Amino acid sequence: MTAVPPSASGDAAIVRLIRVNKWYGSDHALRDIDLDVAPGERIVICGPSGSGKSTLVRTINLLEPFQQGRIVVCGVDVDASAITRAARLAVNRHVGMVFQQFNLFPHMTVLQNLTVGPVFGARVNRSEALELAHHYLRRVGLTEHAHKRPAQLSGGQQQRVAIARALCTRPRLVLFDEPTASLDPEMVNEVLQTMESLAREGMTMIVVTHEMEFARQVADRVVFMDRGQIIETASPDDFFDRPQSPRLQLFLGQLLAH
Amino acid sequence: MTAHFVSPVLIDARHPPVVSVTVAHRLRRMWLATPAMGLLSVALLVVFALCGWHLFEWAFLDAHWRGSASDACSGADGACWAFVIARWKPWLVGNYPSGELWRAWVAFGAFAIFWTWVVRRSHSASLRQVLLGFVLLPMGLFALLLGGGPLPFVAPTLWGGLLLTMVVTLATFASALPAGLCLALGRRSRLPIVRALSGTFVEGMRSIPLLAVLFIAATLLPLFLPAGSNIDLFGRAVIAFALFNAALAAEVFRGGLQSIDRGQLEAATSVGLSDFAALRLIVLPQAVSAVIPALVNIMIAIIKETTLLSVIGVNDLLGAIENGAKSPDWMGESNILASGHVFLAIAYLALCLGLSRYSRRLETQR
Repeated sequence: MTAVPPSASGDAAIVRLIRVNKWYGSDHALRDIDLDVAPGERIVICGPSGSGKSTLVRTINLLEPFQQGRIVVCGVDVDASAITRAARLAVNRHVGMVFQQFNLFPHMTVLQNLTVGPVFGARVNRSEALELAHHYLRRVGLTEHAHKRPAQLSGGQQQRVAIARALCTRPRLVLFDEPTASLDPEMVNEVLQTMESLAREGMTMIVVTHEMEFARQVADRVVFMDRGQIIETASPDDFFDRPQSPRLQLFLGQLLAH
Repeated sequence: MTAHFVSPVLIDARHPPVVSVTVAHRLRRMWLATPAMGLLSVALLVVFALCGWHLFEWAFLDAHWRGSASDACSGADGACWAFVIARWKPWLVGNYPSGELWRAWVAFGAFAIFWTWVVRRSHSASLRQVLLGFVLLPMGLFALLLGGGPLPFVAPTLWGGLLLTMVVTLATFASALPAGLCLALGRRSRLPIVRALSGTFVEGMRSIPLLAVLFIAATLLPLFLPAGSNIDLFGRAVIAFALFNAALAAEVFRGGLQSIDRGQLEAATSVGLSDFAALRLIVLPQAVSAVIPALVNIMIAIIKETTLLSVIGVNDLLGAIENGAKSPDWMGESNILASGHVFLAIAYLALCLGLSRYSRRLETQR
């Protein structure tokens, strides 16, 4: 097993997965996953459905337990045998997440959605949290919707609120779990543009998506998963133009077929 | 000649066509849509009119209004309102000392104001205030009625009638609803022993009739309590109501908790909330407001259940009415007790109708 260098040095990995294995019952969902993510790096994960992409990002912030291996996220070192609530809390203080189904809190206004985490999680004082919330609401272009309920917004607007909510916790890493998969086609772009501008500012991002154009434009590295394994990792150009493994060639061929 | 399926110009929005229906036509459609339905309508109307006329005759035309003893109401053909008029005070407050009666009136007034506020409140925004009111108001009223400090002490055994009914109702709200929430959370606990105990209690309590719980509380509870602790019949009855209704409320809350999507909890975790904060800020507010109509139904049931108090010998409104009909002055005529029961029905109707209308409005609001 490799020793993890102390996270003090600037270029140490922000996420390090070491031989991570996960099972749902007897179903082997993640198989010997090794992955390092450097600060500021943009990773896009793609692959057929059921390949374990979502499970992988959900495991990184410990929403899912894993049975073997070790995960180091933002300096929090978690072994499969020692997944505690405290560890999950510590990881989530540094990691933001954007979900496919938005998962906004429907009983709160947009502004409350943004401040509840900082105020009641990180114990930021309320005025500072409000300032932060207004700042990020401006960033995603939804200032005038601050006092609406999520149900009054379109799908694309809701997902932008969800991105702002994740940013309000001042994360060092943001995970995106198919952020555009449940949006109407005309709303996909507004969300992708928000994500692109976030990437330009140097945010570390791990994105599970089927938006191949986004992967080509934004990603530093593209990861292909199939049946719980990482099959191939490459720069976007190599990934799309010179795929090595037959399974990735097949996958890309199917994408281009229609 | 070609058929046009594609409109060459944009079509402006138009108003829907106005259909004019005459009153006679509408009446015929409502009452006589088919001969069979017309027959049914007429038959029901006749039954309704006959019953209504008999009730009117009994309650007004043949009623006895004045008098202070049963001979004022001779003959069983009409209501005996003289009985109600003569006895209303003990029915309202029982044997509450006359010097301290203002406390009872203040309690009724506070309750009436709170009730009106709850029933007429048109926004569900201050749900927390309503729930808080149902817990804090009973405590305040209880302290006021019981006395202590500058106020002379009035033992609960002296309370009676509608006052007692109100106090038991509110005390049951204040204890059963929080206890039900705790039980519902207990059934989702990580600890197997907490899960098992809550589950057993809820399932067991739901399978026992309330009357049995009341009798057990009245007779057996003192045996389980440490020697020297002395809870009167009133207190034991409240405990029985609280335990029974906590089990019912627990099932309602459990449904509410189950209706919350797992994604809500995951989102709460991902913004850095602890499990407890996520429960308090994200899960519970949504779960509770999802089951408010069902909770109001439990409240209505609690109000009506309080009549069972008279069976174990507590002097609630029904008990006071029946005691009144057994008193020497008012014995002998069957219409006396019947009039008391009608009065009871009207009192409960007034209480429950308001609450059920409130619940109905909450349901249509979502």
